[in-house]
Amino acid sequence: MSAAPSSLATIRATARGYAPRVLQGRGWVIAGLVAVPVGLSLVLAMIARLKGMDGDPAEVLKVFHEVLVKMMLPIMALVAAPAGIREDLEQRTLPLMLARPAPVWALLLGKGLPWFAWGAAWLILGTLGLQLIGGDPALLPGRMVALVGAWWGELALMTLAGLLFKRGTLWGALYFFLWEPLVRIFPPILQRLTFTHHIESLAGSRAAQVKAHQLLAQEQVTTHPALALLALLAFGALCWALAGWKLHRTPIGLAGSEAEG
Amino acid sequence: MITLDRASLRYGPILGLSPTTFELPDGGGITGLLGPNGAGKSSLLQLLSGLLPPSGGGVKVFGEAPFRNPAVLARLGLVPEGDRLPTGLRADRWLRMMGELSGLSGEGLKAAVARSLDIVGMADRAHLTFARMSKGMRQRIRLAQALLHEPELLILDEPFNGLDPEARLTLMALLRDLAARGVRILVSSHILGEIAQLTDRILLLFRGRLLAEGTVTEIRQLLDRHPVELRLTGEAQVLARWAVEQPELAALRMEADAVVLSVRSPRDILPRLQKAAAEGGIPLRALDPLDLNLDAVFQYLTKDHA
Repeated sequence: MSAAPSSLATIRATARGYAPRVLQGRGWVIAGLVAVPVGLSLVLAMIARLKGMDGDPAEVLKVFHEVLVKMMLPIMALVAAPAGIREDLEQRTLPLMLARPAPVWALLLGKGLPWFAWGAAWLILGTLGLQLIGGDPALLPGRMVALVGAWWGELALMTLAGLLFKRGTLWGALYFFLWEPLVRIFPPILQRLTFTHHIESLAGSRAAQVKAHQLLAQEQVTTHPALALLALLAFGALCWALAGWKLHRTPIGLAGSEAEG
Repeated sequence: MITLDRASLRYGPILGLSPTTFELPDGGGITGLLGPNGAGKSSLLQLLSGLLPPSGGGVKVFGEAPFRNPAVLARLGLVPEGDRLPTGLRADRWLRMMGELSGLSGEGLKAAVARSLDIVGMADRAHLTFARMSKGMRQRIRLAQALLHEPELLILDEPFNGLDPEARLTLMALLRDLAARGVRILVSSHILGEIAQLTDRILLLFRGRLLAEGTVTEIRQLLDRHPVELRLTGEAQVLARWAVEQPELAALRMEADAVVLSVRSPRDILPRLQKAAAEGGIPLRALDPLDLNLDAVFQYLTKDHA
């Protein structure tokens, strides 16, 4: 007989045990979501340079804000989150872990961390790739931190949604693609309830580059970058904690579904 | 070791297990949990392995409620039914993780993984991914993960499903060996022959109810109202003439050189039969009870409750 493992040992064991999963199909889809748009932009920029044209900082802003932040980051979260505990629930492998003396909430975080690390690595690579197109070096650290912080929060949010709702991915998609775009017409208080606001606070505003139809209906508010990062990290931590609490409280039987206890 | 006090389990409006009471004492040995599909076997095992809390009543394993209780879970191992292993992972690495989740670390973990793989005969194939393993190999790995932390109680849900005959025999030998080492084993099956080969001690479940517990013989004794079939081999005509005079006789069937009696209360008629044969009153060459086995017990009991 052995003693129950600590929370840290559980997170470490689960993260290490499931890390190889990120190198399978789903992991490469996540990598592709960053690599393909950045790679294409890079190729186009190189062609332009060969024709004697300079890099266009506006192009970098466009790829960063319109493609990575608005589209790819949410899709990455929607793809990666089900690979966490939700997949174990559906494949009925979760009872093997729940029958262990390990803290249940730590299993969830341990399964999510490899996906966070994998996605973060590609986001950092993508941001570095954008520099080659002609991004402002002064904005590089902010962009990296913004994407990684938002990835942490969005992955955690989707993991929580997957545990709270049977159609968590659908609710997630609705949140990202219906709620977040409304940031442009939200009053200041509601702007702060979007990832977009905090990303822009960290990465630098693109207000100077927006076209007429993209003008804010309300005055754009800014949050100090440190506070914005703190908000993203704290929100992510809160979502992981809530998801862990939900998993701990939910009786999950051999069928992999919830049962009335 | 295990105490159920009117424990029941509901899945929403569906009753998985009716209020059930029984105890399993400490110590090693194999107990078979028998019942057809939907009898409540898995529900009972889920209560005992701490996956689900009871909807009513109480469940205690090692004196404590098992649901989300590390003190209990550290002492039991679960082999769930079905081919449930995470795809794309290597068996040895996954076992290492499961060992760590059981509180093992360092050299102890390494030794536990090696020992478990050795017990299930998979030491040389553990580097394979689950996708490259046969069903029998994956079943062995499922058993290995449950043995890592040397549990005092091993719970197996339909472990023989999908295994070829050779793998079944290997698994049975393995379970007997573990029981001999002092591990209490609770194994469920809907196939009577499997359990009969493993153990004499059974819990019989049907439609969410515990119908009976004890040895096959003990349970059979509860069934005196049901006729038992005895084949008497010898001169059939003479044997039949003796049989029709016995008050316990319920039915009689003639065969070429035997007569098959259906009798109530075999414990009353058997001594008289043996005495008559010993005194030369009847030409009896052999006596074979035809349905004093698990199949018959199961058929009778389930027929009563159906």
